[in-house]
Amino acid sequence: MATSNTFDAIVVGSGMSGGWAAKELTEKGLKTLVLERGRNIRHVVDYTTALKDPWQLPHNNRATTADKAAQPIQSTLYLYDQSTKGMFVDDNKYGYEQAQPFNWYRGYHVGGRSLMWSRHVFRYSDIDFGANEREGVGIDWPIRYADIAPWYSHIERFIGASGDNPKLPQLPEQILQPPFEMNALEKHLRASMEKAFTDRKLICSSAAVLSREHNGRGPCQGRDQCARGCPYSAYFSSNGVTLPAAAATGNLTLQPDSVVHSLIYDEGKSRVTGVRVVDVNTHKTTEYFARVVFMCASTLNSTAVLLNTRTARFPNGLGNDSGELGHNLMDHHNGGGATASYSGLKDRYYRGRRATSMYIPRFRNIAKREEKFLRGYGYEVYTGRGNWTRGVDSPEFGADFKNEITLPGEWSLYTEGYGETLPYHDNRIWLTHDKPDQWGIPRLNISMSYRDNERAMAKQMKDDAVEILQAAGLENIQGFNREIVPGSVIHEMGTARMGRDPKTSVLNAHNQIHAAPNVFVTDGSCMVSSPTQNPSLTYMALTARAVDYAVTQMKAGAI
Amino acid sequence: MTDRRAFLRGASVLLGSTSLGQVMAAFAAGPRKAIYFSESELGVLRALVDVILPATDSPAASAADTHYFIDLALPACATATAQKTFREGLTALGAGYATLTPAEQVAKLKARAEKDMPLDYEQSFFKILKDYTLVGYFLSEIGATQALAYIRVPGGYQGDLPLAPNQKAWAI
Repeated sequence: MATSNTFDAIVVGSGMSGGWAAKELTEKGLKTLVLERGRNIRHVVDYTTALKDPWQLPHNNRATTADKAAQPIQSTLYLYDQSTKGMFVDDNKYGYEQAQPFNWYRGYHVGGRSLMWSRHVFRYSDIDFGANEREGVGIDWPIRYADIAPWYSHIERFIGASGDNPKLPQLPEQILQPPFEMNALEKHLRASMEKAFTDRKLICSSAAVLSREHNGRGPCQGRDQCARGCPYSAYFSSNGVTLPAAAATGNLTLQPDSVVHSLIYDEGKSRVTGVRVVDVNTHKTTEYFARVVFMCASTLNSTAVLLNTRTARFPNGLGNDSGELGHNLMDHHNGGGATASYSGLKDRYYRGRRATSMYIPRFRNIAKREEKFLRGYGYEVYTGRGNWTRGVDSPEFGADFKNEITLPGEWSLYTEGYGETLPYHDNRIWLTHDKPDQWGIPRLNISMSYRDNERAMAKQMKDDAVEILQAAGLENIQGFNREIVPGSVIHEMGTARMGRDPKTSVLNAHNQIHAAPNVFVTDGSCMVSSPTQNPSLTYMALTARAVDYAVTQMKAGAI
Repeated sequence: MTDRRAFLRGASVLLGSTSLGQVMAAFAAGPRKAIYFSESELGVLRALVDVILPATDSPAASAADTHYFIDLALPACATATAQKTFREGLTALGAGYATLTPAEQVAKLKARAEKDMPLDYEQSFFKILKDYTLVGYFLSEIGATQALAYIRVPGGYQGDLPLAPNQKAWAI
């Protein structure tokens, strides 16, 4: 608990971005208060399900109808089971309006989604940062690769990540440990793609999963049960990596169960002086003060706090002179892909459960301009040998049948594309002031849809997946192109975008609110476009970069 | 709809049931006493699960109490139609099934399988029986650790190894 209400810096949120803001601010000597709306989850000791066998968990680790009633949205996620359900919010307690269907998957606890993320960490390139300007979409990113490259390195050195460096312009080189090994089918696919295509290759994903020991953490023990929390600290989370580093400085005050209602704006001083916090349990409001505030509450929640900060100067939300606050919401889309099997390579197997996927980097709109859509997609590829479920629909039974189905079956493969979504002004969030939650904070309404560009891309995603698998001689290839509910990829981006012009953007090139320069927004809200790659690494890099700038500005007396 | 979860489930209908979780909990906790089937039906069921998954180098399905699992799972997870199909199938096999010779038991189930395979799942006693027997057995500790291979903490990942003789498939 905080013993004083005044700090040098306040960080709202303790997840991917908040953990980095906390580490960088405290290491630069600032007394920092980190506010987290959820409960505390202590590293390792609170990962209570991490080492349980399926039959040791309630309901053999399956969700029950009662779970589905309590968490009707969260329980639809592929990660959701008895061992992980405590990492996800109670949907009824944390409701939101859906002007159009939107799956908002969240964890309200210390560490946020850094505990349950899929751990892919690719850099963005100038193909991404320059895309809006090149194509006249939305507004231009105010930064280029050279601005963020040193910060990507800064993050990678500390978090530890493994993977291939494919030497492609669309995936800038990273600081990586050796990749996890491919299995026999993946090696077969990689070799076939090298032969059949000049523009497509299979790589092991860059992932914040340690293949080697790093700073006393890891390596990965092959459980592939990361979302329960890792007792070996083998993947990056705030809980296991950044928050302990921040705590070690002696400058960190971490306060869970504290939801931020709004920022405090002093009209006389024309600046933000602090935050209003509601205690989640007692509903008591307390004010905390600091010279600088970092908003790291996740894309939708950071913007919600700004929208709920309505003052004489900012009647439509803090920093909303442009009218863009809440707009240009994005998520990736992953509707297109394919499944297949392979009857060869029967004499090869694997040991352990790899906690990363294989990846086919984006190849559309790289060498040549596509006619049907802008931007592109990368594929995640999952493979394995069949299990006993293949015996379910066979007419066989008896000892020979049992012996056969307990052996490894044929290889199978599942792949889905992850496509870029363009920023559309009317994909947006807003506050429903007549529907406050139990803490008196207006609930969000979300309206987002995919458009023609995403639909055309999804169709090509399916066709390309089929073509790649056919070239590899795989069997029973089934392409799919299913409808996706926005939010389902859990890469919410935008709603407080960066930009060069205060008339069209909320933040400047340093994630600083144009008209409230001691407030920085460094989570996914700041995104100007939604490149193909997973975004967390970029949030971390932008956060560290913004802290460095903020502290320089504070020392210079500018903020 | 194809997604990662559905893809891994294969053809099993039971694995997709929303009620399977409660059943697994009741199965783990509960006494071994039939709640849905009569003692006579349970006896037939016990014989059937062992005809499908007999003792080999790993225990038979009845050793994992798979017949009791079905007794709990069928009323909780199966549709009314599937329950009716299943009960009628048991009755048709006859109460004496449990006391037939092993060869007779196999022959009788084989005949039933041939008759049932062209039918839809809901109408096929044999398909429902296979689904519930396999799920019950391979999700149990005996099935996962003795019939299959299970390592709680593998200690790392080796991607490409020669398949060892008699290497069982990983349980998860």
